[in-house]
Amino acid sequence: MAVLEIKNLHAEVATEDGEKILRGVDLEVNSGEIHALMGPNGSGKSTTAKVIAGHPAYEVTEGEVLLHLDEDDFGADFEIPEDKRTWDLLDLEPNERAALGVFLGFQYPAEIEGVTMTNFLRTALNAKLEEREELFEDEDEAEDEEEDVGYDTSPMEGPVDEGEVGVAEFQQLLKEKMELLDMDEKFAQRYLNAGFSGGEKKQNEVLQAAILEPSIAVLDEIDSGLDIDRLQDVSKGINALRDEQGTGILQITHYQRILDYVEPDMVHIMLDGEVVMEGDASLAQELEAKGYDWVREEVYGTA
Amino acid sequence: MSTQLPANLSEETVRQISEDRDEPEWLLETRLDALSALEELELPDVIQTPGRRWTNLEQLDFEALVDPLNAADRTERVTAEGVEVLPLVEALDEYESIVRERFGSVVDFKTNYLTALSAALFTTGTFIYVPEDVNAEDVKIRAEMNSRSLFSHTLVVTEKSSSVTILERVSTGDAVEGERYFSNLVEIDAGENSYVQYGSLQNVDENTYAYTLKRADAGTYATVNWIEGNLGSRLTRSDVETELNGDASETKIVGAFFGHGDQHFDVNARVWHNAEHTTADLVTRGVLDDTARSVYEGVQHVGREAWDTNSYQRENTLMLSDESEADASPKLIINNHDTEASHAATVGQVDKEDMFYMTSRSIPDQVARNMLVEGFFVPVLEEIDVDEFREDLAELISSRLRA
Amino acid sequence: MSSEQDHLKETDTEARFEFKKEQKAAFKADKGLTEETIRLISEDKDEPEWMLQRRLRALKQFQKMPMPTDWPGQPDLSEVDVNEIVPYIRPDIETRGGAESWDDLPEDIKDTFDKLGIPEAERNALSGVGAQYESEIVYQNMQEQWQEKGVVFMDMDKAVQEHPDIVKEYFMTKCVPPSDNKFAALHGAIWSGGSFVYVPEDVTVEMPVQAYFRMNSEGMGQFEHTLIVAEKGSEVHYIEGCSAPKYSAFNLHSGGVEVFVGEDAHVQYSTVQNWSKNTYNLNTKRAIVEKGGRMEWISGSMGSKATMLYPASILKGRGASDNHITIAFAGEGQNIDTGAKVYHNAPETKSTIESKSISKDGGRTNYRGLVHIADGAANSSTSVECDALMFDNESTSDTMPYMEINESTVDVAHEATVGKIGDEDVFYLQSRGLDDDDAKQMIVSGFIEPITEELPIEYAVELNRLVELEMEGSLG
Repeated sequence: MAVLEIKNLHAEVATEDGEKILRGVDLEVNSGEIHALMGPNGSGKSTTAKVIAGHPAYEVTEGEVLLHLDEDDFGADFEIPEDKRTWDLLDLEPNERAALGVFLGFQYPAEIEGVTMTNFLRTALNAKLEEREELFEDEDEAEDEEEDVGYDTSPMEGPVDEGEVGVAEFQQLLKEKMELLDMDEKFAQRYLNAGFSGGEKKQNEVLQAAILEPSIAVLDEIDSGLDIDRLQDVSKGINALRDEQGTGILQITHYQRILDYVEPDMVHIMLDGEVVMEGDASLAQELEAKGYDWVREEVYGTA
Repeated sequence: MSTQLPANLSEETVRQISEDRDEPEWLLETRLDALSALEELELPDVIQTPGRRWTNLEQLDFEALVDPLNAADRTERVTAEGVEVLPLVEALDEYESIVRERFGSVVDFKTNYLTALSAALFTTGTFIYVPEDVNAEDVKIRAEMNSRSLFSHTLVVTEKSSSVTILERVSTGDAVEGERYFSNLVEIDAGENSYVQYGSLQNVDENTYAYTLKRADAGTYATVNWIEGNLGSRLTRSDVETELNGDASETKIVGAFFGHGDQHFDVNARVWHNAEHTTADLVTRGVLDDTARSVYEGVQHVGREAWDTNSYQRENTLMLSDESEADASPKLIINNHDTEASHAATVGQVDKEDMFYMTSRSIPDQVARNMLVEGFFVPVLEEIDVDEFREDLAELISSRLRA
Repeated sequence: MSSEQDHLKETDTEARFEFKKEQKAAFKADKGLTEETIRLISEDKDEPEWMLQRRLRALKQFQKMPMPTDWPGQPDLSEVDVNEIVPYIRPDIETRGGAESWDDLPEDIKDTFDKLGIPEAERNALSGVGAQYESEIVYQNMQEQWQEKGVVFMDMDKAVQEHPDIVKEYFMTKCVPPSDNKFAALHGAIWSGGSFVYVPEDVTVEMPVQAYFRMNSEGMGQFEHTLIVAEKGSEVHYIEGCSAPKYSAFNLHSGGVEVFVGEDAHVQYSTVQNWSKNTYNLNTKRAIVEKGGRMEWISGSMGSKATMLYPASILKGRGASDNHITIAFAGEGQNIDTGAKVYHNAPETKSTIESKSISKDGGRTNYRGLVHIADGAANSSTSVECDALMFDNESTSDTMPYMEINESTVDVAHEATVGKIGDEDVFYLQSRGLDDDDAKQMIVSGFIEPITEELPIEYAVELNRLVELEMEGSLG
């Protein structure tokens, strides 16, 4: 079981005189749980998500983002040694965080022309497995493993380095996950997010999570811009992530709507860069009924 | 050197011009300096590919074209409130320190043979000064050339947070036997946060060779917009250039030309991005009829320190006659990767489908074609702030189409 | 699969190009260029008198012509002193004109081409292969079925002896005369090796033929000449590969390529150039395309210190067409100045030029192109698209197209863009587990994808791998 633990997180925009956005966020997400993070515009929800993933536009000035792993979090064949079970994510590159099982579903996913979904996802999956090996490798081992010297084969042949997951195996995996999310097969051959509708992009983010099987997935406004059919598909995908892979979900949302389909174990409400209220699923309903002014009043005693 | 000094051009001539105008010593020195540089200077660069020289400036016979002591022009200057608009010669009295400081600060007289010739021999031109915070209405200059040759120099200085719109119309008056030469240098020193639109409409007679170099130095937050319309002349060489030297400065260079007969237009638009957050947009549209020929070069130069640059260039040429010729070279020189730059150029004729559509609605061929050509110029016309100028240009295009 | 091949599989691509062989030669000309040298080369090749005379005429022209120095932004060629170049090295082989079996080659030469993967490629995907080592073709073979149909694919030197009529007519006469430019004149004087390809009427050579050029010695110049004559209705795809190990002294490659595309014939000419970064690569490549014929130039320029290469098509017959695909990648210390030239000299001719360039670590790329539409070339069209990607502020990316339009019933379009790699895009890919380099590499692959998707698959793979190597900055 993995735990994402955010302690007293302060962050600002990484420019001179950068604006302070996070002012001491505390939050804990366990794998297998669904957490909703709610709050008005500008309260720091998206920034929290980006800082967890390591976005270079923000500078952390105080606090920690820890990931605690259990020995079997990467499957039965991969034993995580005792001294490598807790990681401070802030020390790691974004791809290293991804390799440890942290996934960010973007509010505005990038469009990359010329790179097919299949190529991208298989590369990402193999890169993740490889990076994971490196992160858990003993320093001594690393030195022994020198590359063989010699020459490559024909320039006219296909790629030599297939990676751990081969093309055929991957395509089977992709097909299954796409069926689960009710996505059209043709997506696999389209360029990454290029020309996708807003809804298609969001669906694609969940598909990527399903393939990369993260321990913790942070989904930033995955529900905005979705029609009801797609919202149901996406919700099904999120529930499956939790139920089948035991992923812990931190779901950032403006709306109560998605919570009807993805019932949270816990709801956190952010205001001015801090988590100011926490509760179970009923808190979201209460918020829907009373609005953020009510939160403000409860917290600061003023409206 | 590529061009011989005209026989009638000597130090004496230059001293005479300066003396007639009662000029200060420093200006005479500048003129003499330019004169003595002539020998080493080359004509402006012209594109040359294997087997083709795009413009042949060597054909200009300066001996016959230049008659410096008989220069004559009639220039009408309409000023606006808060702006000083004076013949350059008069400005030497009232604004001597400004003129002395800024004259030749944007256009280096030793750029080429033609700029130096102009500095040595200019007899007319305008000084426009917009003081700080003045938002001026339209300034109009109507210049008429009445001699064999005429050299004009215009200097525009806009102080901090001022704005001005200037239109210049150049034409020929009294007929002169044989060929003529008109040289028009314009320099703009655009101060911080100032705005200048400079529109120039050239419609000299078709025995005249025209050379113009217009260059601006845009300071921080300054905007310089050029509009360059060329319809007249036998051969025109036009260079319109902006140096974006201040952070967040902007420029737009809009050009229009319409050649007929055996006219030759060599039009050039160039921008140098030398500071951060600068923006440039170069738009040129031209039409060629009969055996007319056009040459276009557009250069977007992004310097090493020009972070966050946006730079765009479009050039479209429409050919109405099978005997016309068009050469084009839009260039990108990019030394900073933090740049969004693009250029596009097309050459073609009036769209057959469009023609068919219109004629099928019972519009005669010729009328349909004229309407499409006028439509082709609309994007350029729309850039012009001043109604009078826009209407003038539209009228010239329209009358040429119906000639 | 043998264990040796297993061993080969596991190694990185970089090593494939970066190995040096001891320099062994049967005949090595002295440095520099004199009439004496030319006579010696011609004599060593046992050439007919007419070829010697052509060489000497070209030499005179070379001596008269100035170095090209007045192009805006062109690569610095001041280091290229022809008198410092060893113009001709005949490797120590028994069979002149190319052995027909790899086993007949000396071990070190065979080993070189093994490492480059040429014999294996021959077995899998090619109709014929020629291999040049230093100045001479050392291996030449073509499948029998093509020989039976009258296709000729042989060493250019051998063609001078065996097909003098065709060579006399086409060799540096109407396509690339030595007077064309300084390096064409140099080439005319000291050319050696290269391929001669002749495809008879209506024959389609289904699999590509490939020639591989390898420079092994320090300070040498390679000047191979390729002449392709494709008769009416025929079709052929010629692939050229180039590499050299890196030395401290400069090497010069100045190849000459002449292609004659007959009526309704179709020729595709593909090059992946991966010269070492001390090589000056100054080539003249040109095709003359008859009525209804089609010429395709595909060029990937990855290596070299400086490249000046502008493959040209002269569309001479009605309805002839051209397609150029160009990819340039300039890393540290490289100046890749490349583009295309198309002359539309007949009605209804058509050309398409696509160029993608990438500059990184202070490298410079330039697209320099010329499209000329002659008076009378009615209803012709041309479309040019250039895109450039820049990695950093030390690099330079220039675009200099020239269009000369002397005909009104034409459709001419040129577009170009320049941009950088977006930080947000890199972060998105990183958050999915790709490291910084892999993320950028993936964006670059995507950038050139519109071009690689048009290439034969083996070719696209090779190109992508070279790009990957460049991205790692690891190529010698």
